[in-house]
Amino acid sequence: MQPGLQAYLIVAGFLFAIGFAGVLLRKNTLIIFMCLELMLTASTLALVAISRFYNSMDGALFVFFIITVAAAEVAVGLAIIVALYRRRHSVQVDELNYLKH
Amino acid sequence: MDLSTLLTAILLLPLGSAVLIAFFLRRRGNLAAALSVTVGFLIMALSLDVVLSWNGQDLHVAHEWLRFGDYSFSMGYYFNHQTALMLLVVSFVASWIQLFSVGYMADDEGKGRFFGGLSIFMFSILGIVLADNLVMLFVFWELVGFSSYMLIAHYYTTDFANMASKKAFIVNRVGDFGFLLGIVWCWNHYGTVSLIELQTKLAGHTELLGTHRAIAISLLLMCGFVGKSAQFPLQVWLTDAMAGPTPVSALIHAATMVAAGIYFLARVFFLLSPFTLHWIMWSGAAMTAFAGLCALGQTDIKKTLAYSTLSHLGYMACAVGLGYPQLAMFHLAMHACFKATLFLGSGSVIYACHHEQDIYRMGGLWKKMPITGATFLLASLANCAIPFFSGFYSKDSIIMAAFVKGSQDGPMYFGVYVLILFGALCTALYTGRLFSVVFLGKARSEVASHAHESNAFMTIPLVVLGLLSLGGGWATYGWTWGGHFTGLLPSSCVVVFLETFKQVHEAAEKTGSGTMLELINLGLVLAGLATAYLFYGRNPNGDALAAKSPATFHVLERHGWFDDVYDWYVAQVQQPFCDLVGALDLLLFKFAFGWGTGGLTGLTGSVLRRLQTGSIHVYVYWFLAGVILFWALSVG
Amino acid sequence: MPAFFFYFFSALTILAALLVVLNRDAVNSAMCMIVALAGVAALFVLLQAYFLAVLQIVVYAGAVMVLFLFIIMLLDPKGRRVPVSEMNLVFGLIALLALALGAFWLARQYPAVAELPAIPQLPTDDAPLGYATAAKTFGYGLFTRYLLPFEVAGLLLLIAMVGVIVLSKRTPPDSNDDPAK
Repeated sequence: MQPGLQAYLIVAGFLFAIGFAGVLLRKNTLIIFMCLELMLTASTLALVAISRFYNSMDGALFVFFIITVAAAEVAVGLAIIVALYRRRHSVQVDELNYLKH
Repeated sequence: MDLSTLLTAILLLPLGSAVLIAFFLRRRGNLAAALSVTVGFLIMALSLDVVLSWNGQDLHVAHEWLRFGDYSFSMGYYFNHQTALMLLVVSFVASWIQLFSVGYMADDEGKGRFFGGLSIFMFSILGIVLADNLVMLFVFWELVGFSSYMLIAHYYTTDFANMASKKAFIVNRVGDFGFLLGIVWCWNHYGTVSLIELQTKLAGHTELLGTHRAIAISLLLMCGFVGKSAQFPLQVWLTDAMAGPTPVSALIHAATMVAAGIYFLARVFFLLSPFTLHWIMWSGAAMTAFAGLCALGQTDIKKTLAYSTLSHLGYMACAVGLGYPQLAMFHLAMHACFKATLFLGSGSVIYACHHEQDIYRMGGLWKKMPITGATFLLASLANCAIPFFSGFYSKDSIIMAAFVKGSQDGPMYFGVYVLILFGALCTALYTGRLFSVVFLGKARSEVASHAHESNAFMTIPLVVLGLLSLGGGWATYGWTWGGHFTGLLPSSCVVVFLETFKQVHEAAEKTGSGTMLELINLGLVLAGLATAYLFYGRNPNGDALAAKSPATFHVLERHGWFDDVYDWYVAQVQQPFCDLVGALDLLLFKFAFGWGTGGLTGLTGSVLRRLQTGSIHVYVYWFLAGVILFWALSVG
Repeated sequence: MPAFFFYFFSALTILAALLVVLNRDAVNSAMCMIVALAGVAALFVLLQAYFLAVLQIVVYAGAVMVLFLFIIMLLDPKGRRVPVSEMNLVFGLIALLALALGAFWLARQYPAVAELPAIPQLPTDDAPLGYATAAKTFGYGLFTRYLLPFEVAGLLLLIAMVGVIVLSKRTPPDSNDDPAK
């Protein structure tokens, strides 16, 4: 059976769901960040699949930009996490919490 | 200049003077006085011009002022013979009283304030005189009340003056509440408040005045008169109003403001139902007698004169009630002259005795202050309605009219006649008492023995007004002197009053006892004067009545305990009610709204605060919830 | 043949992603992430998006994940093994299931389009932005239609660089903190 558009989209959807669950489940900030990247990757997969099956370059070009932005975002995000680590000496989310309630 | 422009000038000149004084001249008392007096005389000259050049046609001018939907308030003039007479009286008396004030208030620090108040008062009273509809009248009515409040409280450092001014204003307000209800209901019932339109609506349809609504409306309108002219049961403010300076008492509380109520009744006479007129007649007659009696129980010269004013207002009310508003206006004019003279005379006396007001600490002033004494004598005789003095013509006619009504409409109305006759007797008594005690005999105190005649500012107005109180009524007889004068005035101004005068006298002749009535009056008055002199005047050191019959004196002194009843009512009935309402208010606002909305907001706040956990996971859950919500909204 | 590769690589990707989430060690997670990204790159190749596949490996798996590993080593080399709390696990698994089902349903909305006939290397004149496999097509699209986003992306990278430099400056030690090392 040839994999059609639906198959690729299902894979992308599962990847997205796993990434989201990771964000919800993990307490390590770095792993949460990685799961965010996983979600982004899932969206790129979906875009390329649709672009291929509808015969248009627009989706692929968009993926180009997503990768660029993801790279910039990771750089800045990790710099923030390092700065946070210097303050709180931890990367666990519940120890980073300044708010009291 | 045409009539309407002249009237506008007359109305706005005192306003301009008041504004100038208020902004620039409050510290410069002398300049303020000069400005105010100049404006006063200017108004007098303009009023004379208006009256002399009037062609006898009623003038009606109106401008729309405010518009609410299909109802519009207008401001305008309605000039007829009543307006002409009142304008003349007000401007004439006011200018001379202003001149007098220059002398009286010479050493007062608040001169600027005083003359500013006089100017605004002039503006207000002229507004009432010229008003062409009830709403405009009410606006100026309130302004007059305000001016009175301001002027009574001139000596604001004393508690008595402050309380008196508040009392005057509040009691007036009570009357004005009824007045306002009357105006609103009048608009609702008749569809208009313009005097002209009301007149045309009711002309020839006098049966319209018999309906319950019309009776109620006229009774409510009468409330305004009751408040302003200090009739029963709102007369309590007038004696306390004597706390103001004497020129104020002369101008406002004798000659013009309290008379504005009578003027108002004469203007809306066509609106008053027979029932209301009966009420006015009886209450007026009762007030005449009552006030006359109370005057005998006062030792303050100004309070005595205040009760005298009340008594005469009773006469005027009675005249309106009997169906002769022109007669009431005539008496108003005469009364303005002699009562102003009396008050100014008392002011001169008070000033000379260094602000001593108790008559039993004066005495023997006839020799020391001849001009004041002579004019005071002239005015007193006019007050008592001695023949040939001005008061005689009007007061006598009223008494005759009462007798005529009694013989025409049934013996019950003889009660009115008896009451006002008794009032005349009391007038003679208290006038005689006043004159004998103040001017005759020997000086009874330090200040009285050092008194001397006042300066020209005070004596000139006294002379002018005194002469008027002597000869003001002579226009009614075609005497040589009077005939020349009536020839000067356009006939329509005086003819109405002349007609009424003739009417009453002819009716009295018809009953057959015309001359008899005049003789009874004269006899009563002379007897009263003689008794007064004998009883009070022979060197008294204290009030003779108080000495001989303290109980009676005490009754008269408490003037019917009206004040005490009102005090009890306010303290024991009204105040607890207000406290109750205040407590309910507190309950509602503090608890319902304070706890209610405030508490609700606080509760919401503390619930929403829990959202800010600082935990990323919670935020992500909320984010997910938001996304699902948006997706649901976009799909369905 | 393509079907087999598709199933193989998609299973690999999904398994690696699950391991990323469920691994207790941060370094292990990072390694599994690299595998997942490689799997996605393989799927790109199957879709004949060769340029993007290479881009994915070079930029994403190569640069981004290496950066990640740097930071993990810097901050958390031993990898504290913090257990996931039960409540969170339950919620997370519920969310996962829900999302997966949602994604499945969503994907089903799209038509079951099978593989299309072969695509050209370079775009034709009558469909200039039609799908093509050469890298040249990216250049063509980027410099004509998507020029502005291209420039903006460059600016964004500049900003990110500047931002990172600012953020990683060492602040002078204040007395309020715990003794900063």
